[in-house]
Amino acid sequence: MNENLFAPFSTPTLMGLPIIIIIMMFPSMLLSRPNRLINNRLTSLQQWAIQMTLKQLMTMHNTKGRSWTLMLTSLILFISSTNLLGLLPYTFTPTTQLSMNLGMAIPLWAGTVILGFRHKTKKSLAHFLPQGTPNPLIPMLVLIETISLFIQPVALAIRLTANITAGHLLMHLISKAVLTLISINITTALITFTILILLTMLEFAVAMIQAYVFTLLVSLYLNDNT
Amino acid sequence: MAGPEADAQYQFTGVKNYFNSYSLTGRMNCVLATYGGIALTVWYFKLNSQKTKIPAVKATQVCRGSNPGHCAC
Repeated sequence: MNENLFAPFSTPTLMGLPIIIIIMMFPSMLLSRPNRLINNRLTSLQQWAIQMTLKQLMTMHNTKGRSWTLMLTSLILFISSTNLLGLLPYTFTPTTQLSMNLGMAIPLWAGTVILGFRHKTKKSLAHFLPQGTPNPLIPMLVLIETISLFIQPVALAIRLTANITAGHLLMHLISKAVLTLISINITTALITFTILILLTMLEFAVAMIQAYVFTLLVSLYLNDNT
Repeated sequence: MAGPEADAQYQFTGVKNYFNSYSLTGRMNCVLATYGGIALTVWYFKLNSQKTKIPAVKATQVCRGSNPGHCAC
């Protein structure tokens, strides 16, 4: 019971060298690239999934916003494939690292904000004050809106990190409980194992939902600024 | 198109035409005024803190004369 529960979240190394870059590039190696005019079944399935996601995400955008289509598609594919691969036993999940999630969230958020200030300066500045605010509350509300703007990338990163880390930790703890209970009480172990199965199914859903939420929020920030 | 910019109810006069929480220009000006006020406040307090700094202590003079009363230490 003195085992370090956070050992699976430490950056893996191979002969002393960190291999996180290789791990981050690994999901892209699994997705097939179409190199023929008529695709095989796997590529067709992949294209169908991407088109379905694209329609959901990009319908609300104007021409300027749709220039971000490739970025957002890559983002959702990367996060969902990384999260799903992390559910395999003994694998490292890069999206449990706050540094990586901040590295994704801050540039994307900053890009949308800079785009908004560059092309629609008046509207972007006016966004800091909700319409119809009573006069005495104006300075306070401007400050609150400024803080809420700067909190956005932090919230994006921490949401993804916390959800994936918490799920993995819970699975680790419950599986340890099952292994311990097998020698004590088989019935309780079976009930705990059922809970573990349900939790694993939930984690599959959470992996894909968190990827969608991250991308959707970036898409919403983009929509506000284009 | 209907909206606060065209609505007769929101036709302001004077200063309120430029500083209100309904029109786009009014909101932008309120935001800029708030940031400007904060910047001025910070600048004012920084200026004040520079003025009220204790001056550096003068270097003590070494008494070389035989009569210590002549020293300006």
